[in-house]
Amino acid sequence: MASWNRDADNINLRLKMKTEAYKIEEKTIILNRELTELDKFVRKFLDVAKKYGDYLVVSGFVSISTGRIRGTEDVDILMEQMNELKFKEFFDDLAKNKFWCYQSDNAKEAFGYMLRFENIRFAREGEMFPNIELIPINETRKAKYFEFTHPQKIRVKDFEFKIPEIEFEICYKEIMLAGKKDKEDAAHLRVMFSEILDNKKLNEYKKIVILKDGAKN
Amino acid sequence: MVPKTEIDYIKIYAEKLKSDSSIFDSQKRFIESQLKASISLFRNAFPKNKFKEKAREYLKARMLVN
Repeated sequence: MASWNRDADNINLRLKMKTEAYKIEEKTIILNRELTELDKFVRKFLDVAKKYGDYLVVSGFVSISTGRIRGTEDVDILMEQMNELKFKEFFDDLAKNKFWCYQSDNAKEAFGYMLRFENIRFAREGEMFPNIELIPINETRKAKYFEFTHPQKIRVKDFEFKIPEIEFEICYKEIMLAGKKDKEDAAHLRVMFSEILDNKKLNEYKKIVILKDGAKN
Repeated sequence: MVPKTEIDYIKIYAEKLKSDSSIFDSQKRFIESQLKASISLFRNAFPKNKFKEKAREYLKARMLVN
């Protein structure tokens, strides 16, 4: 009997301690969780990147940071195409902060990827994964540029970063990317943020994704 | 709701997580164990003094970089 009471007490305590996964404060999504090692990796990269331009964390990390359980190897980050001089400073700063570039140790060579709008990948020294997939964009990349200029702030403890608006991320994953993993990510976001999703925006962004980049299905 | 597909399970999990943030703890353990395994795999696969060289060979062979 004493043991049963103890179990009931524990259950009640857990129920009392149940807290919501997120709240909204001044238009920022505040996640009620601890930082993971993946968050710390992204934060370290962003601490350097933010000195050289604006950024947007997109795709898998958006779902994972909001609770989706799935594996990931790369974190996709959009940044505006920069000139060679600025890129070299950025590249050297990353090296100083112990990131290495998959494609090259040479800033000039790596800059070629940025010029051609090809993704550039960085990992921590002595490691292969996780890695950052830096996606260069400019205004000609219509849908990407739209999400880049319509960010949503999100915070975990003292780590605040920018992601696309949830409605845009859902549309992009469901319509543009449209793979199994993407549709699952979108389903997670739809349920997780059902209380705050704006249907008007969902309809509007659906059209933007289709018109600006074309849809896969 | 009786789950039938993977998406159904994802929706049920998200619904539970929304009202119980303690579920984030198990997600953190999953993410970190995956990271730890991956980091350790590649650290052991390539010698420290030739890590980048060997890693690039590996990435090119799998067409993960061009």
